[in-house]
Amino acid sequence: MTQEFDVKKREMLALTGKAGVATLMAQAVGVNLGLVSVSDAAQTPFRFAIISDPHLYSPVDHVFDKQLIDAVAQVNAMDPQPDFVIITGDVAHQGLNDQMQKGKAILSKLKAPIHSIPGEHDWYLDMGEAWRNAFGPENWSFNHKGVQFIGMNSILVPDFWTKAGLTNEERRDWFMPLNSPVPGLWGCGDKTRAWLSAEVAKLDAKTPVVVFTHSPLWDYYPRWNFQVSDSADIRKTLGKFSAVTAFHGHVHHTVYKKIGNLTSIGTMSTSWPWPYPPVKFPDEKYKQYRADPANTADGMGSASVDIKADSQFVKYEPFGDSLPPGIKDGFKV
Amino acid sequence: MKNTFSLPINSLTRLALPLVALTILGAATVVSAREPFTKAEINEMDQKLTDSAKRGYDMWYGARADMSNNGLACANCHPDTAATNPQTFPKFMPQTGTVMAFRDMINWCIENPQGGKQLDASSKDMVALESYAYYLHRGVAIDTGMQTHQTAGPEVKTARGLNVKGTGIGFDK
Repeated sequence: MTQEFDVKKREMLALTGKAGVATLMAQAVGVNLGLVSVSDAAQTPFRFAIISDPHLYSPVDHVFDKQLIDAVAQVNAMDPQPDFVIITGDVAHQGLNDQMQKGKAILSKLKAPIHSIPGEHDWYLDMGEAWRNAFGPENWSFNHKGVQFIGMNSILVPDFWTKAGLTNEERRDWFMPLNSPVPGLWGCGDKTRAWLSAEVAKLDAKTPVVVFTHSPLWDYYPRWNFQVSDSADIRKTLGKFSAVTAFHGHVHHTVYKKIGNLTSIGTMSTSWPWPYPPVKFPDEKYKQYRADPANTADGMGSASVDIKADSQFVKYEPFGDSLPPGIKDGFKV
Repeated sequence: MKNTFSLPINSLTRLALPLVALTILGAATVVSAREPFTKAEINEMDQKLTDSAKRGYDMWYGARADMSNNGLACANCHPDTAATNPQTFPKFMPQTGTVMAFRDMINWCIENPQGGKQLDASSKDMVALESYAYYLHRGVAIDTGMQTHQTAGPEVKTARGLNVKGTGIGFDK
């Protein structure tokens, strides 16, 4: 609570633009501002960071604990500091409360506040109860310095467990393999899409928008759920904006694709790198090196995103030497 | 010196003609030689291989206690056996500085990232893991040597990539 209060205070001090103060005050008193003024959008440069897919296990001092701690240290060492950090899901590998709380404790060491969306590993033991207790709402939207940030729960599937009489653990376990034959394709679902439409309706078409989902908003490799089943509808809803940047976790590797007005960017995990799937890769430039299995730091890391009035600059922050020259020093979106 | 093994042309012709006739008229006779195995025997052998691959699949996706002290399984890094490239082994592996067989690499992974106890290299368990990985890589050209670039895994269209019946739960038909 103290940290959150401090952050709000810092945000208040940092906001010098009229729209920023108005937005923050309106949020505080629950006033619907209507359309966000474009003229004030992203006039104050700022940075945010992304940490993804910690996949924490229960044992004390598990190797993935240290890797998440390393990512936290990376972000805390960023200069300038990010205004906030987005966690794009799969904090707890088996969805257990102790894993969730361990993640929350490690992430609490971040100097900046966090915003989180869930991954399938966080969700299906208790349908998100432990995750919500630790990290808050699964869908959120807020305006920061003129940029709209939207996070959505994108890992929902129709109920296959009730009819089959599965226990919570059995339901969870069917989500463990990336290529599980049982759950099928996941997505955001009707409720979240309706919520998104309502959020989008409040915004001017020229508002810069940054979206976060656990898996990509395009059909990358559905067999491994490298997709969101209702992504076409979501892209259509987001189609009214001049440009949307969409970040996702789940794939545990670097990937970049433009689709319509949306630029989709995959993040590295802090746990292990997934191999690239057997499909045509959208742009070879954005492919990270093959991870060295003998180096537990290889192929993983965090990322920073610098937002300016006219551009966004993404920089992966790998633990090791994982990136080819084309993206090693970051890239403009 | 006369080559006692040489035959005059007319002799060759005499031999060749019946051979051609045999080929034309008796092709069925040649290819209908007894199948080395009956269909039932072939099915039984296929089933044994599938059983081994299925055993390998279960071990690949489930972290058996002796194979992992940290919960990690083969599938944590290798879904659908991606990025294992069994067809490229034996090859030189930098982490040991030796040319390794695929089963040695499996044991290296069990011992290092997974923190488990190596399998007996000739055990049914090891053969099962190999069965699964090689099964999914059927048709991929053998290409020994170092692989330094990112490699995509085999394309798997059906649930487990094996000819086994699903659980009937959800999409697992």
